[in-house]
Amino acid sequence: MRVLITTVQVPFIRGGAEVHAEGLRDALRRFGHEAEILAIPFKWYPPEKILDHMLACQLLDITEVAGTPVDRVIGLKFPAYLIPHPNKVLWILHQHRTAYELWDHPLSDLVYFPNGSHVRDVIQQADRKLIPQARAVFANSQNVARRLKKFCDIDSTPLYHPPPDAEHFYCGPAEDYLFFPSRLCIPKRQALVLEALAHTRNPVRICFAGTSDQPAYADELKALARKLKVQQRADWLGPISGEEMRRRYAHAIAVIYPPTDEDYGYVTLEGMLASKPVITCTDSGGPLEFVADHETGVIAEPTPEALAAAFDSVWENRKQAKSWGEAGRDRYQSLNLSWKTVINKLLA
Amino acid sequence: MKLNWFSPLPPAKSGIADYSFGILPELSRRAEVTLWTDRAGWDPQLEQYATVRRYQPERIDWVELNRAELSFYNIGNNHLHHAAIWQVSRQSPGIVILHDARLHDFFESLYRGQWRDQAGYLAQIEKHYGEEGLRIATEFVTARHGDYDFMAQRFSLTGAVLENSLGALVHTKNAFDELRVSNRHPVFYAPLPSAPILKSANTDGLPRPPYQLIIFGHIGRNRRLDAVLEALAQLSERNLFRLDIYGEIDDPKMLRQRIHTLNLKDTVTVHGYTPLAELDEALSTSHLAINLRYPTMGEASASQLRIWEHALPSLVTRVGWYASLSPDAVVHVHPDNEVADIRSHLETFLQDPARFARMGQHGRRLVETEHHPKTYVDTIISLVENAREFKLRQAAFYLAERSGTVMGSWTRLMTTDFDSPNRLARKIHSLTAQTASDTQAR
Repeated sequence: MRVLITTVQVPFIRGGAEVHAEGLRDALRRFGHEAEILAIPFKWYPPEKILDHMLACQLLDITEVAGTPVDRVIGLKFPAYLIPHPNKVLWILHQHRTAYELWDHPLSDLVYFPNGSHVRDVIQQADRKLIPQARAVFANSQNVARRLKKFCDIDSTPLYHPPPDAEHFYCGPAEDYLFFPSRLCIPKRQALVLEALAHTRNPVRICFAGTSDQPAYADELKALARKLKVQQRADWLGPISGEEMRRRYAHAIAVIYPPTDEDYGYVTLEGMLASKPVITCTDSGGPLEFVADHETGVIAEPTPEALAAAFDSVWENRKQAKSWGEAGRDRYQSLNLSWKTVINKLLA
Repeated sequence: MKLNWFSPLPPAKSGIADYSFGILPELSRRAEVTLWTDRAGWDPQLEQYATVRRYQPERIDWVELNRAELSFYNIGNNHLHHAAIWQVSRQSPGIVILHDARLHDFFESLYRGQWRDQAGYLAQIEKHYGEEGLRIATEFVTARHGDYDFMAQRFSLTGAVLENSLGALVHTKNAFDELRVSNRHPVFYAPLPSAPILKSANTDGLPRPPYQLIIFGHIGRNRRLDAVLEALAQLSERNLFRLDIYGEIDDPKMLRQRIHTLNLKDTVTVHGYTPLAELDEALSTSHLAINLRYPTMGEASASQLRIWEHALPSLVTRVGWYASLSPDAVVHVHPDNEVADIRSHLETFLQDPARFARMGQHGRRLVETEHHPKTYVDTIISLVENAREFKLRQAAFYLAERSGTVMGSWTRLMTTDFDSPNRLARKIHSLTAQTASDTQAR
């Protein structure tokens, strides 16, 4: 099949969504299909720009290329999933979140604009009307499926996939650190983790890996660490290679992943692949589909005190942490996540 | 259901403040209302019915505003009361309630008077009326005594108030007919609601002389006081009348001189601004109201409803909304024959006061049937229920205009069978039109 994957690209920003699209493209090619990523540049402010992008997507014609039909389109992200095609399936990573669950939320931007509610209503209307036109609708996770149902009354099937290089993760002896790999940004809540670090009873050390969408934010986090007097126990690794990242996973006591209402979250699965317990929060969304509290990790309230208690607990009781990590690995295996399953469903 | 209500609020000396106060009890029963004001103080009674929020147009809590389904912006010609409201309405689209159908005075006094921005005023005229408009407006601003009435009639500037709105609500059928022609914005009509009066009419039998005439409200040139005084002065039986004038007067010195010149000191009493309770007291003991307007800015008159609430007969000008009023409830004065008409009607009144009293009763029935606040609030609520539809419609226009601007540079050379505009229209429709199930769900 000739398959086009439609998504959006915010220039110079790379995260899980980009990895997801590339993983899908590579898997499609491995299984013998022609596959390309069609990434639309996306700018979401001022809000009327969103309408421009929605219309631009609707006007694109990708039914064929140079006289040869495109057999299947797989739409991943808003508004690229609005590009029409008679054989389109959607595998929705998430909708435009500030028009939905993040509307009246501290992370929102849309609600701060005078025309915010107007643009929100148009986004919701277009989603409600155009998403069901796809021949099948899959969601990246149960969390995303739940939101689609709650806000748009659209049924979808959760479809999990393995994180990149899943087969290369391994477990090694724990060293004295917890590992928190993620883009440095407000939704991932590095600041909350720093505040928790300041509340720990033990000399807990945390390695943060990842870059910031906005360079100034990394500086803000470092300044916060100094203010909280935890700078000696917070290591900022910046961007690291896949090999280095897996090494860090392998030797951590535990993995920290407490984002705000995450869609899916590779970090959880990567921690499980490395046989490490995952510390997450009760409002973290996607990770809650995989972490079992006090079985494969800890699910804490999103407060510095509760997270600090979780950090102390794995720091002090490493045997138990190891056991939870192994249970997490078993849980991952039991999920049977595979690209083959994913592709069979998307191309059915 | 939550809505934002931008309006002058009591104790502001504004009929629109009184109107808002009048419908608030019913409105707040049906929806959660946030009242927005740019003034530091407001009547604490308002807080029985709604949350009151203060704002500055350049610094407003958009988050709070966005929490409501729909915003309503009450706009009239007094720039002191409505400038801030208009400034917010331009940024966050909502329903504009037009209390005047001709808003030239608003823009002229705002731009040239308050902001000292003549270029801005001319730019608005040019934007909405083109080069010819600009030429006439330039003559107007350079003339020593510009003709304000002509400008108001020629350049209503309602387009400037509505350009970023979701729709307009008007109180007169004339305004409705004028605005709906453009088909750019949804236009709705609801008769102006009456406000509760604080003192019932005195209905103990037929009136006896001396007969109490009353004029009230903001007394500007358009209230034709000169003509009324002239007519009274010409009347041989003028000692059978007393005229009381309530309200702020644009030029009190000139009025006093005129009363003196016409030798009407024993007939006319000027009271100035009066609280509503005292005004109602005065209305309840009056026998005939004089509620002339010329020129009219196309407005419906809350004063007229108040007159009818008191079952008072009235003289009105045969122009605009007033011309549409039933001759069973009012007596019309022709603007070209004012003094003679007024004098003649007063003479008729003396001959048959009972006939005039019946007109007042008819007026009261009109208020009770056509101007009931509940009916008005029904319209407001139905607009809130349809808010999403208005927003989608506006998005469609935004996209069409945006596309037109972008495409304009290259489509001029295309042949007439070029299909892009049609295709574009279909795509905009697919993004913004509601589905049948959406409509049914409502």
